[in-house]
Amino acid sequence: MAQDNTKIPVTPGRMVRLARLLQFSDSTLPVGSFAFSNGLESAIQMEVVTDGKSLQEFVEMAVRQAARMDGIAFLHAHRAAAAGDHDGILAADHGLWCRRVGEEQQQMLARMGRKFAELSLRIGDFPQLIDWLAQIKSGQTPGCFPVGQAVALAQLGADEAEAFVVHQYAIAAMILSAALRLMRIDHLETQRILFTVQERIEQDYEAVRDLSLDEMSVFAPVFDVLVAHHTTAHVRLFMN
Amino acid sequence: MPLHENLGQMDDARELRSYQDQPAQMRAAAHGKIGELRLGFAMRNGRTELCDLYRVAPLLVQQALYWDEAMPELPICSIISVGGGILQGDRYKIDITVGEGACALVNSQSANRVHRMDANYASQHQTVHVEAGAYLEYLPDFTIPYRGSRFINQTELVVAEDATVLYGEMMMTGRKHHHTDERFGLDLLSMAVSVHRPDGKKIFSEKILIENDDPTVDFASVMKGFDAFANIMCLTPPDVAARIQSRFEGQFETEEARAFAGVSRLPNSAGLMLRVVGVETYDVRKQVRRFWTIVREEARGRTLPKEFLWS
Repeated sequence: MAQDNTKIPVTPGRMVRLARLLQFSDSTLPVGSFAFSNGLESAIQMEVVTDGKSLQEFVEMAVRQAARMDGIAFLHAHRAAAAGDHDGILAADHGLWCRRVGEEQQQMLARMGRKFAELSLRIGDFPQLIDWLAQIKSGQTPGCFPVGQAVALAQLGADEAEAFVVHQYAIAAMILSAALRLMRIDHLETQRILFTVQERIEQDYEAVRDLSLDEMSVFAPVFDVLVAHHTTAHVRLFMN
Repeated sequence: MPLHENLGQMDDARELRSYQDQPAQMRAAAHGKIGELRLGFAMRNGRTELCDLYRVAPLLVQQALYWDEAMPELPICSIISVGGGILQGDRYKIDITVGEGACALVNSQSANRVHRMDANYASQHQTVHVEAGAYLEYLPDFTIPYRGSRFINQTELVVAEDATVLYGEMMMTGRKHHHTDERFGLDLLSMAVSVHRPDGKKIFSEKILIENDDPTVDFASVMKGFDAFANIMCLTPPDVAARIQSRFEGQFETEEARAFAGVSRLPNSAGLMLRVVGVETYDVRKQVRRFWTIVREEARGRTLPKEFLWS
């Protein structure tokens, strides 16, 4: 019998970490993301998204923007959490909140953030989230979802590049799962789009990894108008 | 003339790193390339007057005029650029203060043309202080970034809780009727704004960053089909903001759409933001004027005068 040279030694904790990263990336994680479409519902009503091609562009735009905005706050929060710097976590939280325009976009950010903290504390031991959640409840910090997510992932031992993948994946998955309920598109097509959009992840990470909180930026004027549209829409399935 | 500290700091901005070479003409920030303007409005003898004016060419303001028939107490200053547009190596600084209870309108003489550049960049730093109960409309005309232009603008506003400020930028994607390569032919357009309360609390900030390698500009969710856009913020107390928001009907009609426009709430009860995209500048102007009218009516109980034929 040939000797088995392919056996990889088990590094303690590594597989558990990966399993939990998958758990935190799962689109069924109950943080309320099912209630939000991140502007897709309005994009469809305003014919900005009409088919698979335009949906793919919408998702690409959203993950690109998310990297340059939320992603920067996320990376800062991750580094602060890893360094045990609670003030750094709060700075990332306030920094992102100050830049979020639109009541429904704000609601998504804060509601998912709070739910995420509550869920994490229910299922595991996350000391940094205990303080953060207490400060959300007392109104001292806004509680932005990417900030809570970064703190938890840092504590699970995910390095910042791995954690960034989880953050970006959640954005694409949320929009695509909403797309299934909002437009004529099948699961195979949304999976194809997801697979293709994942290709961007490294360039987006490299574009923002060295940026400061003051350098968060946007440029998607039509999307910015859509944010205002949804608030006044009469027929809607989603909260944004 | 020494460069002001804020402008000096902007020279270190990351997005300017590849544009640090010197023009073959006058060097960047040379004497004659630093424009400065300081405007101070305050209550005097029962009305607002322009009490402080300091200017260094190419920026110029001559005097405050009171020509608004719908708001006769409003002093109006037009910023004139004697340079015929923004050139490479230009450094501009604009500071506006509106004292307690005073009001003012500051606009510009014509579109802000950012010329083509083959070296360096142009920068502008603005501060706006609006004190208790004061009212400011600061609405510069369109910024038109020519092919190959690089322009960075940073605006810092300090606004009292009960003051109202209407401030924003209208921008084109380039000289669309001049050349097809003008649409997003710019190298860099970086427009940052931040809003603080007098006690130092930051309540809003935003940075629009467009660089020449952005592959998404022609996406439908970014600017496909449109060549002009505007971000106009109204910083005002929550009750005024709520009234304005309830009156402004968004423009979301997709049938042969000339423009989309909507109003969203800013974080930290800072006020509202009007977002507009349009085919031509006049499509955007129309939406901005509609918002401006409501803002003035709700914040000051005055309306806008009839529009000039040529505006």
